[in-house]
Amino acid sequence: MGWITVLPPERVDLDSCVTCGLCLPVCPTYRLTGDETASPRGRLAAIDAVDQGIAPVDERFGEIIDFCLQCRACETACPSLVPFGRIIEGATAEVRAQTPSVEGRLRRFGVTTALRTIPLLRSGAIALGLLQRLGLASRGLRTIPLPERSARGGSWGPGEGPVATLFIGCVADAWFSDIHQATIEVLVAAGYRVEAPSSQTCCGALAAHDGFIDGAEKMAEQNRAALRDAEVVVVDVAGCGAHLKDDPEFGHKVLDVTQVVAEAIDDGRLPVLEGNGELVAVQDPCHLEHGQGIIEQPRTVLWAAGYDVVDADRGGLCCGAAGTYLVDHPDTSSELGRRKATAVANTGATLVASANAGCEMQLRRFLDDGYVVRHPVEIYASSLAGEGHMSDD
Amino acid sequence: MTLIDELIALLGPERVRHHPLDLLVFSKDAGVTTGDVVAAVLPETAQEVAAVVRIARRYETPIVPRGAGTGLAGGAVPVSPGLLVVLTRLNEIHDVDEVGLTAWVGPGLINLDLSERLEPLGLHFAPDPSSQQACTIGGNVGTNAGGPHCLADGTTVAHIYAAEMVTATGEMVTVGSEAPDQPGLDLRAVVVGSEGTLGIVTRVLVRLTQNAPDVATLLIGFPTIEAAAAAVSGVIASGLIPAALEIMDQPMVKAVENFVHAGYPTAAGAVLLAEVTGTADTVASGVDVIRSVSETNDAIEIRVATDADERALLWKGRKGAFGAVAQAAPDYYLHDTVVPRTALVEVMTKIYEIGDRYELQMLNVFHAGDGNLHPLVAFDAKEPGMLDRVQEAATEMVRVSIDAGGSLSGEHGIGLEKRGLMNLVFSDIDLDAQARVREAFDDAGMMNPHKVLPEGSRCFDAKGVRL
Ligand SMILES: Cc1cc2nc3c(=O)[nH]c(=O)nc-3n(C[C@H](O)[C@H](O)[C@H](O)COP(=O)(O)OP(=O)(O)OC[C@H]3O[C@@H](n4cnc5c(N)ncnc54)[C@H](O)[C@@H]3O)c2cc1C
Ligand code: SF4
Ligand code: SF4
Repeated sequence: MGWITVLPPERVDLDSCVTCGLCLPVCPTYRLTGDETASPRGRLAAIDAVDQGIAPVDERFGEIIDFCLQCRACETACPSLVPFGRIIEGATAEVRAQTPSVEGRLRRFGVTTALRTIPLLRSGAIALGLLQRLGLASRGLRTIPLPERSARGGSWGPGEGPVATLFIGCVADAWFSDIHQATIEVLVAAGYRVEAPSSQTCCGALAAHDGFIDGAEKMAEQNRAALRDAEVVVVDVAGCGAHLKDDPEFGHKVLDVTQVVAEAIDDGRLPVLEGNGELVAVQDPCHLEHGQGIIEQPRTVLWAAGYDVVDADRGGLCCGAAGTYLVDHPDTSSELGRRKATAVANTGATLVASANAGCEMQLRRFLDDGYVVRHPVEIYASSLAGEGHMSDD
Repeated sequence: MTLIDELIALLGPERVRHHPLDLLVFSKDAGVTTGDVVAAVLPETAQEVAAVVRIARRYETPIVPRGAGTGLAGGAVPVSPGLLVVLTRLNEIHDVDEVGLTAWVGPGLINLDLSERLEPLGLHFAPDPSSQQACTIGGNVGTNAGGPHCLADGTTVAHIYAAEMVTATGEMVTVGSEAPDQPGLDLRAVVVGSEGTLGIVTRVLVRLTQNAPDVATLLIGFPTIEAAAAAVSGVIASGLIPAALEIMDQPMVKAVENFVHAGYPTAAGAVLLAEVTGTADTVASGVDVIRSVSETNDAIEIRVATDADERALLWKGRKGAFGAVAQAAPDYYLHDTVVPRTALVEVMTKIYEIGDRYELQMLNVFHAGDGNLHPLVAFDAKEPGMLDRVQEAATEMVRVSIDAGGSLSGEHGIGLEKRGLMNLVFSDIDLDAQARVREAFDDAGMMNPHKVLPEGSRCFDAKGVRL
């Protein structure tokens, strides 16, 4: 009975829930089922029961916790500011620690070992294996990972001027190097010197969401050593950024790239480009909107890139990608993915902007070939370089 | 076969929750009491609801309907071990009649979803409880819910033409009808507000309201709550009936501002949120009236929001008020008394006094326009003796409201948490009559027993032994 890990859910956090239920409607799993046990309030009640010693961490507890997407929409909706993300990560770690299963061990290997083995990842082989384990079918991917495309260890831009430290991540470096390239180009244009220290590692978000707190903590230690002296750490994958911002040591220096670029546009360090009359639909990744409270900046960046910006599904439900979620709950994940794709299709735009690699892959799975999905900063970089319209790709 | 086996045979295992942990999760609504749940089922059709009721009846298991469980009076919490029938999956909208301005909707439909879906037609469902983003139409019917905009539009009962329901015997009946003004007893009005004690509502014919062409929302800071209340009286005395008039006191404003960051004036002693709707002209003149009355009453800040985003932000603060209270303490007990508007200041003063005497932390938010007070006590139920103290203070607060000519509940219902106070407003004869109505619908005492009426209400026969 009770908790056994070092960072279990805490009483003060649990006490901040007054069971008002205002978070229910924003929760994707509650929306799909109408079931209190699949709602934020219900999950908190279950966690509370364990904390009070009235219920054990058993299989049913594990189901209730694992069905959560960790999208944190409930956190944004909650008027009493319940730190749901922190609570659910603690509960997930308890589930992993107390209900060990073969599946769990496999995951532990997949998530913590592979993600930390960055040099191997660059070869692409393990990355591919990992991505397949995560169910991100090849349809979701965009590039062949080539070692020479890696940003690791690089530095760009003027010899002096403010330094922006680029967070390169693991999967992103191997598979989304285009996004890093665009980020580097735009930051350099804004007057930054960009550096990507090679001692950094995976952010640890997937491991933490999956309950492997010790693995996540090891990665955090390595990143602290690598990023401690940075002035500002720029992240171009929302899922990584949301996790890194919670780091007690360097979290306050972390910014999403859309924040940095939008600010540079506002200050006039980056230009507002001429309107091109094209539509772009902006999707709000949960880890940007709920994890980091960022909504306007991607819109600013896209507007400055010359596009007419339309909301794909403002205030809508999670797209269902949610890290490893789609392995465990393929039906729920697909249902949410389809809903999101429908919302995108209803905008009439064929260019879609998403600031999170996971959402991008999920969108691509459910949108047909007529759509192009890109990071907002890529779209801006392309306009800046005068390469014409992204939607012509 | 057991009750659970039969329910699973009917609905499948996914829609019958009965693991001990599930029962704990379902044992509460948004109020403070915890109940005793045998199982929670999630039917998808009225026929399934009827079949569930027939099964439960054979096992003599009481039934409690549940919507979103945002009720504040324990209405959806079973007292004696009971079966929860969760209606959230009956959430369709059928037959929107754009000419007659009606629609048939499932009881599990979320209140705000209905209005959002009707937006393209320029229509909405008028009752807008502060919980409207989460609560269901069925729950609104159950509690006769009100909301900030019910000042001008009336509460739920004024917006329901008919309800189809499953009775305690598992039969389907419809009360009310598509044609307004039926002859005979208005059973529809009896069912609205019956808190699930007369049957399970499975379909509702709602009245739709046209969106106002123009809207303005005012946020006005006053030095004291008395000044804010006086302004409200002044506005009503001028002959204007605004769409909404809501007051929050300073502790509440601070908690809310921490959540919405809408620029609520946290230095003010009280804040009045007022809304006027209508044509551009009526709105402009309404704004003028409110502005000048407020100035006469020493307003320290007046802000007028006309664009939709800013209005939404101001309302988000008001509607998140109860939730924001947790920033003060983990539990809250919410009152829901109604007092004549003229007695508002006097009753408020007494209520603050009672709070001080019991050393309780109080926050206040209320529908000032119709005198519906929601003083809220923030506390920690884990502190020994605390709950008793809170409840004692509650009884006193209700008593001062009733002594001033008010009533026990404006909109949240009686449920479990306030039924002990029914004697303060109703005589034995009144209560007996209410108990008889209930018997006429449900002679076996199957539907949400122990709710609303205190034990012993059926006083003219076997006293106090009925369920
Ligand atoms: C933050 C907050 C703000 C609130 N603000 C307001 C407000 O401004 N005005 C207001 O009036 N209330 C308010 N409430 C109270 C509550 O939201 C309302 O009472 C609402 O109508 C309950 O709806 P629900 O779907 O959650 O119902 P539940 O809580 O599930 O049930 C409420 C009652 O209705 C019965 N019931 C539910 N569905 C059915 C059905 N299909 N057939 C028969 N009976 C049924 C239940 O048995 C129970 O007795 C607020 C609550 C919260 C938490
Ligand atoms: S909105 Fe916040 S306080 Fe209310 S039930 Fe959800 S988590 Fe709890
Ligand atoms: S994190 Fe997302 S899925 Fe999990 S409870 Fe909150 S809203 Fe629901």
